[in-house]
Amino acid sequence: MRSPRRRLFVLMSGLAVLVMLSASCSTVQQQIGTLTGGKVSSCDVESATKITKAVRNSFADITEEEEYYIGRAVSAMILSRYPVYRNEALTQYMNHVGNAVVVHSDRPETYAGYHFLILDTEEVNALAAPGGFIFITKGLLKRCKDEEMLACILAHEVGHVSAKHGLQSIKKSRLIDAFSIIGQEAAQRYGSEKLVQLTDIFEDVLGDIAEKLIERGYDRKYEYEADKLSLHISSRTGYNANGLLDFLDTMVGDASTESGKGWFKTHPSAEDRIGKVKNEISSLKSLAPKREERTSRFEKVLKGLS
Amino acid sequence: MSKAFRLKFLLAGVAIVFVAVLLAETLIVKVQTTYVRKEPKFYSAAVASLKAGENVTQIASQAGWFKIRTAKGIEGWIHSSAVQTKSFTLAALDKSLKTQTTAEEVALAGKGFNKQVEDEYKARHKGVSFAEVDRMLKMMVKPEELRKFLEEGRLGDFGGAR
Repeated sequence: MRSPRRRLFVLMSGLAVLVMLSASCSTVQQQIGTLTGGKVSSCDVESATKITKAVRNSFADITEEEEYYIGRAVSAMILSRYPVYRNEALTQYMNHVGNAVVVHSDRPETYAGYHFLILDTEEVNALAAPGGFIFITKGLLKRCKDEEMLACILAHEVGHVSAKHGLQSIKKSRLIDAFSIIGQEAAQRYGSEKLVQLTDIFEDVLGDIAEKLIERGYDRKYEYEADKLSLHISSRTGYNANGLLDFLDTMVGDASTESGKGWFKTHPSAEDRIGKVKNEISSLKSLAPKREERTSRFEKVLKGLS
Repeated sequence: MSKAFRLKFLLAGVAIVFVAVLLAETLIVKVQTTYVRKEPKFYSAAVASLKAGENVTQIASQAGWFKIRTAKGIEGWIHSSAVQTKSFTLAALDKSLKTQTTAEEVALAGKGFNKQVEDEYKARHKGVSFAEVDRMLKMMVKPEELRKFLEEGRLGDFGGAR
């Protein structure tokens, strides 16, 4: 062992371990960095690694598939209240605008992707169920004057999904109960007793989300956050972020029969939002120009709206 | 420290680190289906598609995208929001956590709120229809369709992006 060759072997092996160790750390950190958009310090990366190893205890631990099943059921509830507006060209166009902003958001992929649907009501409203099921009413579409306005509204809804605002409205005690049942059951399928318990919790989870989404609205801070996300996502996509301001302007001092329902009921006042949105817009480096090509295709497809 | 012990210690260290590196480079698809794309762009043509739970090997990364190789040897790009790193499943080896479940384990087993729970919910709420939800899910925008839309509207890489 004391021969120069052996000593060299030990030295080289030690060096190899060090190189591999640093490679391993940087790979993991790089991946977490990529997953979080690179906006984390090394301390954050360390704590993130610890968190991902922990057992489930908050909304952030809901899996993509679970979020999808919650979103499906919330959507089914929404669709049992409102009929679907059947207009294939318009629905397809909305899915194009929606996906254009989705791919420029912080969470472009969800379990089953983002999907956009028009609800046949004069009520002014837009709703986003967890997982990426996004609904916009005919009443709201009628207020949009160009593609920028529509894109900014859809980006606001994509922001809610991306930041998991729906999942955050679930009471924590329900999640703890659900995670506990799910953790106990080793079999592939649930036994009848466990299934009944889990479905009871599932119903309560849907109730929590529906109460916020449809009845009372999210906390104001989530709405302001979604407005902020909308400005950034729409700008990244190449839309003029003033589209959000233009839309909010149409809501100021509204005295129509719809003013007590939908968005008016579940969102902070347009006046409050306009002030915050103006501030945020002034912090953007520059605004993308509005393009004639977009306005003309918007007008063409919206002609079919009755 | 004896020579033999020192060598064993060294070899064990090398083995552990080697396994860690291998695991860190394996990614698991966490969404139902996703495309492997030719370029790191959502409008880029698909060269393969992957399903939830499939493993791929990471070759490189770039601004939110991973260059990967599939089990069939196809290379292409996949977005980071569609995958999770397999290294995190090492948590399952931690004995203190043996009686509980991590999100990754639940995801891999397809447990939690799943189809079985939805079926039970449907049986209780006959008035709530999922037919429109299923129809909504069929509306997909293909990469080439997205490209055309962005191009025509001078959006993203095709014009107005800041």
